[in-house]
Amino acid sequence: MRFQAEVRRALGLREAGVYYALLLLIITLAVVCAVLGRPSYLSAVNLINIVYQAAPVALMGVAMTVVLITGNFDLSVASVAALAAAVQIGAVDAVGFAPALCLALAAAAAVGLLNGVMVQLVGINAFIVTLGTLTAVRGLVLIVTGGRSLMVQTPAALATMTGFESGRAGPFPYPILYMAGFTLLVWLVVHFTTLGRRTYAVGGNAEAARLCGIRVNAYRIGAFVLSGLVAGFAGVLYASRFGAMNPTALQGEELTVIAAAILGGTSLFGGAGSVLKTVAGALVLYTLTNGFNVLNLGANYQGLIEGTVLIAAAAIYTVGGRRGKSLRRLRALAHDTIIPVRSALPETPCHKTRC
Amino acid sequence: MSDGSSPLLELERLEKIYPNGTAALSGVDLEVRSATVHGLLGANGAGKSTLIRILSGATRATAGEILWRGERVSWSRPAQARAAGIATLHQQIPLVGTLSVLENVFLAQRGGWRRGQPLEARLSRLMASIGYEIDIHAPVETLSIGERQMVGILQALAAEATLIIMDEPTASLAAAERQIVHRTLRRLAAEGRAVLLVSHFLDEVLALTDEVTVLRDGAAVLTSATALLDEAGLAAAIVGRAVREAAPRAPGDAVAGRPVAEIIGLESPGRLAPCSFAVGAGEVLGIAGFLGSGRSELLHAIFGADRGARGEVRLFGKPLARSPRAAVAAGIALVPEDRQAQGLVPEFPLWKNLTLAHLGRFARWGLFLRSASETAAAEAAIEQLGIKAHGVATAVSELSGGNAQKVSVARWLCGPTQLLLLDEPTAGIDVGAKSEILALIRELAAGGLAIVLVSSELTELTAAADRILIMREGAIVAERMAVATSEEELVLLASGAAGELPTGAGIS
Repeated sequence: MRFQAEVRRALGLREAGVYYALLLLIITLAVVCAVLGRPSYLSAVNLINIVYQAAPVALMGVAMTVVLITGNFDLSVASVAALAAAVQIGAVDAVGFAPALCLALAAAAAVGLLNGVMVQLVGINAFIVTLGTLTAVRGLVLIVTGGRSLMVQTPAALATMTGFESGRAGPFPYPILYMAGFTLLVWLVVHFTTLGRRTYAVGGNAEAARLCGIRVNAYRIGAFVLSGLVAGFAGVLYASRFGAMNPTALQGEELTVIAAAILGGTSLFGGAGSVLKTVAGALVLYTLTNGFNVLNLGANYQGLIEGTVLIAAAAIYTVGGRRGKSLRRLRALAHDTIIPVRSALPETPCHKTRC
Repeated sequence: MSDGSSPLLELERLEKIYPNGTAALSGVDLEVRSATVHGLLGANGAGKSTLIRILSGATRATAGEILWRGERVSWSRPAQARAAGIATLHQQIPLVGTLSVLENVFLAQRGGWRRGQPLEARLSRLMASIGYEIDIHAPVETLSIGERQMVGILQALAAEATLIIMDEPTASLAAAERQIVHRTLRRLAAEGRAVLLVSHFLDEVLALTDEVTVLRDGAAVLTSATALLDEAGLAAAIVGRAVREAAPRAPGDAVAGRPVAEIIGLESPGRLAPCSFAVGAGEVLGIAGFLGSGRSELLHAIFGADRGARGEVRLFGKPLARSPRAAVAAGIALVPEDRQAQGLVPEFPLWKNLTLAHLGRFARWGLFLRSASETAAAEAAIEQLGIKAHGVATAVSELSGGNAQKVSVARWLCGPTQLLLLDEPTAGIDVGAKSEILALIRELAAGGLAIVLVSSELTELTAAADRILIMREGAIVAERMAVATSEEELVLLASGAAGELPTGAGIS
């Protein structure tokens, strides 16, 4: 009985919805392609291409999921990626690939650390802090580049960089391997180590975690640093793909990253989320984009469809998430319009409101 | 209003069976008359909450009838019950934290236009009528729990309710605040209103109510005029058996234990005056004092959770670094006052909550979790402490108060805990579970733990503690051996030499 209930829950819309969505999307596109007589949608080339395109967003999404699990929020990832790309391209001619990579990652991690310190030690809301760094770091990129596109000058450096990004292991381009390796690592850490358990505890109930002797600030700041580092790595991938960048590169990409995490069912209130589902969420978004291209549908529809999918997903998670409560009960609750006062503890700074 | 003889509210064979087959109420009869206070008692899970939810219109009964002023009614929305004149004060009072007292009191009033002047005058009249004063412009989030309770009562009065349902109005209140609520209850009844009072405090129910109904397993097992009842009879009706008092301690055996912890000049500016004392192995040290007397602050300072605190805590003679992390590692445990907000992680099932504090013990090299040993520990704890749960995977939100409390205590028993700090471990749990928790405390002490027990219930302290420190205004003002003191003496000591209760709620 208990086992059956577990299985039913694990296969339910709330737990596995994003996988169903991905599957449904791929099947639909495959059928439509077949009916219209287009080249097979399910070809290895096409599928690998989708994953390749989704890799940077999936990478950042996995780190974002960790930040979200700890109960915070990072809007600055796209700007940080652009900063790392600029540092990489700016430094690679002078110092070589690996040192430039280190510099780029260090710059990105520094922004993550700044985010974490401002949020945890100064106590400013994460949304505000990272909105600030989103804007300021983009400004920094513009200053560094003087507003012009940057390009790698020496052919040798260019070759190393493109090798780093467009090399293949068998049929798989390197970015897919980076993404898969990182996702697997984070998944293992999150589920099978004390670090992971404590990360969830910090987001689930920060005060309880603190009273259990867990260093809440360290975990939360650590998540920000991880997010910065990974954004930096994604930026270096971007820079390596083209050997060049313009200062507005990746603008708005942070929203795609957050959308991927939300599609994967990660809670914005902390304590819940799965990195595998975030990757699936990123794949859903890029499968949609890819589908629009393959079917020659106007790109104009893309935003509308993606936004609708996002809200529909959130609706499923929210409604499905109220365990053990029937819809009738929900309707009854909707009539109770008064919002309960949740924080009975005046001394804890209110980073977030739960409902 | 009603003609006096016929009841204001009458329930006939009220049933509530949930779609999954659980029968929360299986045929309850209840009569509430005007101008009376009616007590509703029952253990956790007896059906009190369901009954209140039905009466307040939050859910519907599946069978049976509700007669309101003699007429059949069936409410499908809380607004309908409110309009009919029933106000419900839930345990967690739904107030808007950022709005003022004034705005909260008149929150449910119709009409889009709010004029401050007449409302202020009305609120002053209401406050005068119950003899309570509060700053009406203070935002509700700055108020103590007791003050919020009073705002909830004022809200019910403003809605001109004829029946006021109160769900444990005094559970989290200090003695002085309780007095105010008690006075208010009697006044409401004297004005001709009816009050349905849900409470775990038997003495309170006996002192305040005119009639009592006891629920057990979804049925009314006792209905009687209060004058005919006593505490033992009530307790027996609630649990269905005679209640065992907490195991009496054998005086003197514990005090001989070596000192586990020494607290030397521990202070926190503005919260805690310098405190020094020691706790021995096998000793239960009780801390008595009213809300705001610094009891919780003392525990948090010992635990290192208060960053502003100064002074020294020694465990077996070794000074401790001041942080919860160091405290946990050294073997100090804190079970906080608010289980839900400070103790448990709601997203975690029982077993993950249980191992959280000493997670390193369930991991290889302190890093790789061995979930088999975790669930085994959880199973052992369920067995040992008699936690009522379906299994280790039960969500902690589904546990009753007493069982959730056992989980937050059990968390510390799977580690090297030497000193256990308990902050109001029996708040908001029913009589049966209370005596189980108290017995558990004695048992743990007998096993060699040093325990510091903070409780608002003096009966509990005198029954479970060996020695009692009395706190007032952030300082330890007296020390008594539990066998050599009485509840009356403790009240006098905690309230000052003059024996006068401090007025106003929540000194901070």
